[in-house]
Amino acid sequence: MIGFLEKYVLPVAGKIQEQKHLQSVRDGIILAMPLIIVGSFFLIIGNLPIPHYEAFMSGLFGKEWLTKLTYPVGATFDIMSIIIGFGVAYRLAERYKVDALSAGAISLASFLLATPHMTMFTPEGTQKAFEVGGVLPISLMGSKGLFVAMIIAIVSTEIYRWVIQRKLVINMPQGVPPAVAKSFVALIPAFIVITFIWIIRVILEATSLQDIHHVINLVITTPLSFIGGSLWGMLIAILAIQILWSLGLHGDAIIIDSLMAPVLFALMDENRQVFMADHSADLPNIISAPFYSIFMTTGGSGLTIALVLLMLFKARSKQMKQLGRLAVGPSLFNINEPTIFGTPIVMNPLMIIPFILTPVVVLLVTYFSMDLGLVAKPNGVLIPWTTPMFISGFLATGGKVSGIVIQIVNLAVALIIYYPFMRLYDKQKFNEEKGFEQIKSEKDLNHSI
Amino acid sequence: MNILLVCAAGMSTSLLVTKMRQAAEEDGVIATIEAVSLDEVKNHIDEADVLLLGPQVRYKLAQLKAEAGEKGIPVDVISPADYGMVNGKNVLDFALGFQK
Repeated sequence: MIGFLEKYVLPVAGKIQEQKHLQSVRDGIILAMPLIIVGSFFLIIGNLPIPHYEAFMSGLFGKEWLTKLTYPVGATFDIMSIIIGFGVAYRLAERYKVDALSAGAISLASFLLATPHMTMFTPEGTQKAFEVGGVLPISLMGSKGLFVAMIIAIVSTEIYRWVIQRKLVINMPQGVPPAVAKSFVALIPAFIVITFIWIIRVILEATSLQDIHHVINLVITTPLSFIGGSLWGMLIAILAIQILWSLGLHGDAIIIDSLMAPVLFALMDENRQVFMADHSADLPNIISAPFYSIFMTTGGSGLTIALVLLMLFKARSKQMKQLGRLAVGPSLFNINEPTIFGTPIVMNPLMIIPFILTPVVVLLVTYFSMDLGLVAKPNGVLIPWTTPMFISGFLATGGKVSGIVIQIVNLAVALIIYYPFMRLYDKQKFNEEKGFEQIKSEKDLNHSI
Repeated sequence: MNILLVCAAGMSTSLLVTKMRQAAEEDGVIATIEAVSLDEVKNHIDEADVLLLGPQVRYKLAQLKAEAGEKGIPVDVISPADYGMVNGKNVLDFALGFQK
């Protein structure tokens, strides 16, 4: 069974990881990640759960303090599509070994070309909304435009490199400075890309489909968010991740980073927008990027920190005790390769059972606690996945104690599930060690005779 | 000798790097040992004399072998057991085995 999986899973994992477009999408998100974490920092500061905090800050910095404090959110979260789209195009062009900076610039221009430069505005005291021109609609520059930006980045870069690789470019005679030549090289492909997007926009405007944002939202974003944001979607993802790790492959990098990140990011930002508009509003999504990184992988994928704690305090075999000491430090920061390869969980039928079972039970417990309103949903801030548990649960839910409580409950669930398996495995190891020592001492005895 | 370790985020390999440096110091081996993430590896590959992958990213072996192979840099996967137990000494010896 394991041999079979290894034989077929390894190449598939490799394919997913090496797929140029998926890789570039991941790189684009990686480009935006630090900015969004910085934006989250300002969001968290603006919403510290300290009594009278609001009054204190207003007194100190004036009534507008929260608006001013969250300026960086507008320049990070709210423009993620611009950054991610540019990043996707840049990295994809790099992979095709064509000029990445030009591809990024063309992709950005195409994205803005696909976006109507207007917004709806309802003046105070009226009911009617007016179309206001001459603006970039910020709502489409954030997560709402994410899939549009990514798709346009891929399409525009594909056209760009196709044109260049077909040598449909204006080549400059020798003696022209290379920089000048380069700017002309981008001219024809840029012209073709821009014209292509322009034609699509004009055609769509003539129909009831309105614009590219509307179409992509309808056929891609909505269904993907529905699947990726559902309990079933998350359950399948978690099963796949745990099976990959059980084979010794980096499940998170393959399933989350390469496939699900855009959807989970968009879901996260939906929560963030609702949260910012009204701090006490019911948030739309349970499942989002922080739901997975903070609550499903507390102490490492499979919540292996529970196993490590059991090794540390309950193990009798030397090997398990030693591993417990070694793995506890990294586990506190949610790094569990020592646990996975050291125990090992990899290819170990006995330990694979709790390793897969634990996150599934934890998913159900967490999902329904949030669904029933017992636990606060992640409010859309992104914190580094290496943040230790309890701190992470507190921050990811926007400073709610229930975020810590659910992590304690999940840890308890994990301890209970891992316990019998760990005991069994530890006993095996203990007997092996004892047997080994016996043979050794018998040998010593023989020597002395 | 420049030993470059790579895993998904460069986190767990950095743990191993610390242990390998200790082992190198004890054995009096002069080696530069660094850990990078998969995304960064192409920027550092030229400086490396040997490139070692964490077992969890071994699906990248073929691709990295192709890239590093052009430059004559050996690429291999670290043994899962040594990786799990963060056995710096064994991995260091493994890396030194590639020295020409």
